[in-house]
Amino acid sequence: MLKGSQRSDMRHVGRLCALCVLLFAGCSEGSSEADAGPPVAERWARARALWHIRRDPGAWAAWHAIDPDTPEGREARALLEEAEPHYRRLAAQVADGDPRVRETFERAVRIAPMDPALYLPLARAYRTQARTHPENSVLVIRAVEYYRKFLALRPDHPEAPAARRELARLDPEASRLFFERPLEATEAVAPPAASASPPAPTWPFGVAFAALALAGAAVVLLVIRSRRRAESLGELASRRPELHPAIAYLVGSLRHELLKHRIGAVGDAVDALGRGAASEEQRAFLRGRLFGGEPLDRAWEGHLGAFERALGPELDLRRRDPAFRRADRAIRRIASLAPRVEAEERRAVARLARAHGELRALDRHLAKLVRRLVRTPVDGALLRAVVDEVRGEYAAGRVALDEVSIRAPEPAPRVEVFRVDLVLVLKNVVRNAILAVGQEAPPRRIGLDVSTEVELTGEETVRIRVRDTSTERFTTEDIYARRMDRGLGLVTAALGRYDGAIAVEPGDDGWEKAVVVRFFRAFDDDDEAREA
Amino acid sequence: MERLLVIEDGDEYEEFARLFLADRYEVVPARSATEALAAMETPGADAMLIDLRFERADEADLLGDADEMAARLFAGDRARAARWLKEQQGTLILGALRDAGHAQPAVFVHDFPARRLANLRALYGRVGAVPSFDAQAIVRALERLA
Repeated sequence: MLKGSQRSDMRHVGRLCALCVLLFAGCSEGSSEADAGPPVAERWARARALWHIRRDPGAWAAWHAIDPDTPEGREARALLEEAEPHYRRLAAQVADGDPRVRETFERAVRIAPMDPALYLPLARAYRTQARTHPENSVLVIRAVEYYRKFLALRPDHPEAPAARRELARLDPEASRLFFERPLEATEAVAPPAASASPPAPTWPFGVAFAALALAGAAVVLLVIRSRRRAESLGELASRRPELHPAIAYLVGSLRHELLKHRIGAVGDAVDALGRGAASEEQRAFLRGRLFGGEPLDRAWEGHLGAFERALGPELDLRRRDPAFRRADRAIRRIASLAPRVEAEERRAVARLARAHGELRALDRHLAKLVRRLVRTPVDGALLRAVVDEVRGEYAAGRVALDEVSIRAPEPAPRVEVFRVDLVLVLKNVVRNAILAVGQEAPPRRIGLDVSTEVELTGEETVRIRVRDTSTERFTTEDIYARRMDRGLGLVTAALGRYDGAIAVEPGDDGWEKAVVVRFFRAFDDDDEAREA
Repeated sequence: MERLLVIEDGDEYEEFARLFLADRYEVVPARSATEALAAMETPGADAMLIDLRFERADEADLLGDADEMAARLFAGDRARAARWLKEQQGTLILGALRDAGHAQPAVFVHDFPARRLANLRALYGRVGAVPSFDAQAIVRALERLA
């Protein structure tokens, strides 16, 4: 039987292997798609699929080949231009060791493919980082990967000869795949046998080589990960986003019931006791919160048990989680100190203060952890992906749209909703809009936009509005009463899980109506500075 | 001595304030929006310490329309909307006090995200927050807002 973590690893390996297969497949397909003769709409659909579904690095050429005098070509160029600054920023972020690299990359990938010419600065940035951090072998692997992609896709680029030399210094064996002639001794740090190597294969074999390396890395990853056993709460949260709602609830209970009202509340009393300045009322208050009612260690055990029951055997708070381990010792210390604290023994009071500090540290640690849980940015890329996916469906794909407008603020607001569920909700709303305008005469338009509103509680809600030009009439009540059989039952169920709502509003500015989906905004980590 | 209006649904804040803030403030308790509004008239107060969550309060005593909130924010789930009104009641009471013209400094014991605190300040003026029960931090926050 596979454990949950192993099943997850197998899925990762499966994805990597699928990528390998696609890379091999790419060897024989080349870029003939862009040269074929189907209508431009079909070529554009294929080009989008090449990137958004297959993540083929050659997709950039296919996108770029769409005639810019057509609406599809203009859309392709606009998306490529929108993505390019993000891709350019990547190299700078890698060079600076900026932790937002992954976020930038994911954002760019969701918009459009990368200009292959940009693989080179990225490769060089990773090479520079690899020199600074020789202990991190991943950096070299990344550098080699991007050099290979650059040379595979832009073999005639003016910088290609320099790139080959640089790759040769990093990975002489792999670099030979990208040389059109045998290496000369002065060009690369390669073993003498290099000049006797067989004729250089063409680039698809280089890609195949990369695929094999990826598959090997996947197997190593599986072996390493399968040996790992129990995890800390942070590790579990990173690996199992589907547990985030449960983690947030459990952490919230622990913090509110125990860490705020029993531990946090006695901070001033502990200080006063340490200074020998506590009044009798303050001593009584401290005794009541720490030693009265349900014993502190039993309450603590109750919370830990709830974590372990709800989150499964992979979680080991006492052994694998340093913050909980220290807090566990602190709780037991406090419980054992009861008679000596009541007698106000000086050393016992000092130990109580230290234990209290450990528990306050756990509270801060948990606050930080909870703020890192599921957050999905509602950005233009997400809305575009939703529209693309719906337009890729048979029925919606047959509707000729005259306009698709998408507007989203930067930086994008985030919501505490799994991306897959947010996409499900939005796809249903967008699909209904497209099918509805498909029943009408042209011009057929849909528009998506995002805005935020401040509530009286200081919270914010994110409004995702889908407008269309269909004259079909229905109301919010029709949606909730499920009088419409268009997958909206799924939508309302998903909204219920995430404190979301949906409403039908009048259109404006030439739109007939708007369906507005609303979720509470998750405040970003950047906003999390606290009042001193 | 200045008066501190302590607004909560239980007695934990009041107990804390009487023990650790009594040298600075005379504590005036209130258990609901109605009591808070009345206390601000007589005897009045110079500052407010407000609990955010009123989980033990009866729904009838809460500010806010659960039906309206259910339709607008919670996909028609009235029970969830009522729970939300309890969870956020302190901010709604502060709003009612501001509407009644009481602009005194107000502090919550809650670790609000900075952006949310900024929103509360934009809505209600002199608002502060401290992440945990800490008498000195509460006094400092109130002094900064005075």
